[in-house]
Amino acid sequence: MSFIPTLSPPDSTAPGSRPPLLRFTELGKVYPTPRGPYPVLENVNLEVQQGEFVCVIGHSGCGKSTLLNMVSGFATPTSGQVLLNGQPILKPGPDRMVVFQGYALLPWLTAYENVHLAIDSVKPTLPEREKREIALEHLAMVGLTAAADKKITQISGGMKQRVAIARALAIRPEVLILDEPFGALDAITKEELQEELLGIWNTQKCTVLMITHDIDEALFLADRLVMMTNGPAAGIGEVLCIDFPRPRSREDIMEDPRYYELRNQALDFLYHRFAHDEDEA
Amino acid sequence: MTTLVDVQDIEKNFPLTGGGNYLALKGIDLQIRKGEFISLIGHSGCGKSTLLNMIAGLDLPTGGTVLIDGEQVRRPGPDKMVVFQNYSLLPWLTVEENIALAIDEVMPGLAAEERKAVIKEHIEMVGLGHAGHKLPRELSGGMRQRVAIARALAIRPKLLLLDEPFGALDALTRGNLQEKLMQICNEHQLTAVMVTHDVDEAVLLSDRIVMLTNGPGSRIGGILEVDIPRPRQRMSVVHHPSYYSLRSEIIYFLNRQKRVKQWQAKPHKVLSRHGLEKVNLDLGFVPLAACAPLAVAEAKGLFAKHGLDEVQLVRETSWRGVTDGLVDGTLDAAQMPSGMPAWMTAGGHGGAPLPVVSSLTLSRNGNGITLAKRLADAGVHSVDDYRRWLQSHNREPHTLGIVHPASMHNLLLRYWLAASAIDPDRDVHLQTLPPAQMLADLKDGSIDGFCIGAPWLDRAMAEGHGFTVAGDLAIWPGHPGKVLGVREDWALAYPNTHIALTKALLEACRYCAEPSHWPELSELLSERRYLGMKKEVIWFSESSADGNASVPHHLFFGPGVNRPSRSEHLWILTQLARWAEIPFPRNYVEILERICSVGVYSTAARELGLEDVTYQRAAIELFDGRPFNTEDPISYLNAVSVHRDFSVAEIPIGAPRALAS
Repeated sequence: MSFIPTLSPPDSTAPGSRPPLLRFTELGKVYPTPRGPYPVLENVNLEVQQGEFVCVIGHSGCGKSTLLNMVSGFATPTSGQVLLNGQPILKPGPDRMVVFQGYALLPWLTAYENVHLAIDSVKPTLPEREKREIALEHLAMVGLTAAADKKITQISGGMKQRVAIARALAIRPEVLILDEPFGALDAITKEELQEELLGIWNTQKCTVLMITHDIDEALFLADRLVMMTNGPAAGIGEVLCIDFPRPRSREDIMEDPRYYELRNQALDFLYHRFAHDEDEA
Repeated sequence: MTTLVDVQDIEKNFPLTGGGNYLALKGIDLQIRKGEFISLIGHSGCGKSTLLNMIAGLDLPTGGTVLIDGEQVRRPGPDKMVVFQNYSLLPWLTVEENIALAIDEVMPGLAAEERKAVIKEHIEMVGLGHAGHKLPRELSGGMRQRVAIARALAIRPKLLLLDEPFGALDALTRGNLQEKLMQICNEHQLTAVMVTHDVDEAVLLSDRIVMLTNGPGSRIGGILEVDIPRPRQRMSVVHHPSYYSLRSEIIYFLNRQKRVKQWQAKPHKVLSRHGLEKVNLDLGFVPLAACAPLAVAEAKGLFAKHGLDEVQLVRETSWRGVTDGLVDGTLDAAQMPSGMPAWMTAGGHGGAPLPVVSSLTLSRNGNGITLAKRLADAGVHSVDDYRRWLQSHNREPHTLGIVHPASMHNLLLRYWLAASAIDPDRDVHLQTLPPAQMLADLKDGSIDGFCIGAPWLDRAMAEGHGFTVAGDLAIWPGHPGKVLGVREDWALAYPNTHIALTKALLEACRYCAEPSHWPELSELLSERRYLGMKKEVIWFSESSADGNASVPHHLFFGPGVNRPSRSEHLWILTQLARWAEIPFPRNYVEILERICSVGVYSTAARELGLEDVTYQRAAIELFDGRPFNTEDPISYLNAVSVHRDFSVAEIPIGAPRALAS
């Protein structure tokens, strides 16, 4: 038996012979600036299988949000493409939902109304009874049944992020994109939400792409951790395979010698080989 | 060493709006030396910021005092500067102007030339030489916090207080600032107190970490010394054996606080049924091959068979969890290292002596001493080779891992080293480490070896990073491994439950001892609720590394295996005293009488029809052939060649008393 962390080359394909759900090929993005074109990303190649949980980590400015924006359709590639089920992604759509760190909820509506509004705009012809059922089901999934009728301004940060997750999932997206969703939460709430997210991902079988700055969060949640090099012209430096058995518990992971190896490997990548000086930012 | 801050018996009460008080902190005592870096860590609401504010003089205690340089703190002042999470810079002033403002407030008489120099020096200290003319909004979060630190230091405070200074920054940006802060503190010999909830940050920066319990009435739950040499670097500290062990210690503490809170939130009723005083038991265990009897008793319904129909097995990640669970009453009973009843009864866990009794030895053998493969490659194959190796490589720190001071691993390893003229405290360094980390450390070369139980020792060999230099049979064949332990007051309150539990486990032990059941045991223990490892690494075999195939690795049942033995617990008491874990009890006869619940064992065995297993064991003799005289333990202690300065003292354990219901 070997406990050497599995390292895949940057353009590796996920295990399994099925066609990937998402395929990034030779992806590049250049932003025009007053001082000339600025290449954010270059030559990104990655395949993601249906149902995978992939975390993306990297220093500020490494283009990880840009990368995910090209999946959500908020940005379009300058070169290469992102294929979803073999089709190039050209614009946003309800098959890909995004959850932001800042929640992006409508503060004058209740938790229920926020979720309902999303269902309403994606499936306007659905009978009202069904819309209501879906909204309540997803609020229950994140443990917010009791707070459904509270205004967004009346609930805590953790609860807001739960509403945002319920709203995203109520649309039944194929890909759930999370842009550092728990970055603003305290340690305990963060752990609770990570556990809830894993539970939901387990039952819904959606594919998750998540940006994080937290190595332990990635080791707990992800099947693979994509580590980005620094910009300009950032790319995928390494992909760490995290094959702890599921369902996972934090205690079990810490009892596994691979945890220490994977963690040290990620630390080495981020603080040693691709250390970053934030003064440049 | 001079004390700069002296926190004496602080208490803080907040009046509540609806009347009444909220007791935030109670009985806080803390002395901070000049030049020390202290972290305060705990869950939200544990009062760590309140404590910092009282040191800063931003808030006053309702009881006790805070002294800085011997003077009572009554108000904030420039001698103790606070850096907050939200930077608190004036947005319309540049970096230079923000710092200048603080200097002008505190040192109005400063000459223009000197004022300029101080500003420049501190801006450069935090690496912002190029950004002096920028406004805060033009800077990143990390850079703004650097300005706040420069401003605090520019007025040369005696004490730097930091309230989650990097909490608003992302985890990766934090790293750079932590290194910068550490460098500044080192160069300027600063004394600092920092509130944080980031475990890695606390270990990296601190000399000592103060862990606070949950409120109301938070107190100091533990103080950890960080023995990692300075200057420290983020990337190299993780390879120091103390790093992950301190980290898991803090995580353990925080999880424990969370668990106790959850436990307290649920009602706990004693359910009596079937003539038993309590049938709902929380039974602690640590995932090792030796937990087989507990797993079997659960899987085969043996607890229920003996009337205990609501037994919950509680998986602890360390023996620490077992000790704490018994102390705070969240566990009814537990599988524990055979040294733990004596150790806790003598107060070795650091609290008041807590009488713990054992009615059953659950397993024997199953431990071994592993050395790193790299030592074998350098020609180390025996303990004598290892001694020569230590003599010729005496400048490296030679760390050996153990899982708990009261475990047989510690006692056997120390005995084995000392008998071969290696002082276990002076020639090597013994460190308590979680098993998974030992494996990782053995592999990356930061420890020389360890003494640990199956299946971890088998894993080290299977993965090719270590070899067994001494198997259990080579040190003390048939040594006690794990025992069943309960608090004495629990045993007295629930005597019939105690017998039923002993019966269920003794029957399980008999099942485990049968070689034809071993494949099934490996399969059962591989389940996630027990060990959660591949069944191939969980072995119960008769073969052993030294070729002595006549005695099984694990002994679970048989003549003299299970009956609690006074002479073995006495051997343990002398060894614990030898290494100064506890004083040797003058009242050892009484203590042994109380620890060994021979009566409960005999009743259980008789009721199971197993009278033949009460057979007395032979005298205790380890590999070195030195006899252990149970009649005169103190002469034995004086005669052993290597020992610490031990003391002999009366251990006050009071009269036996049942737990109040």
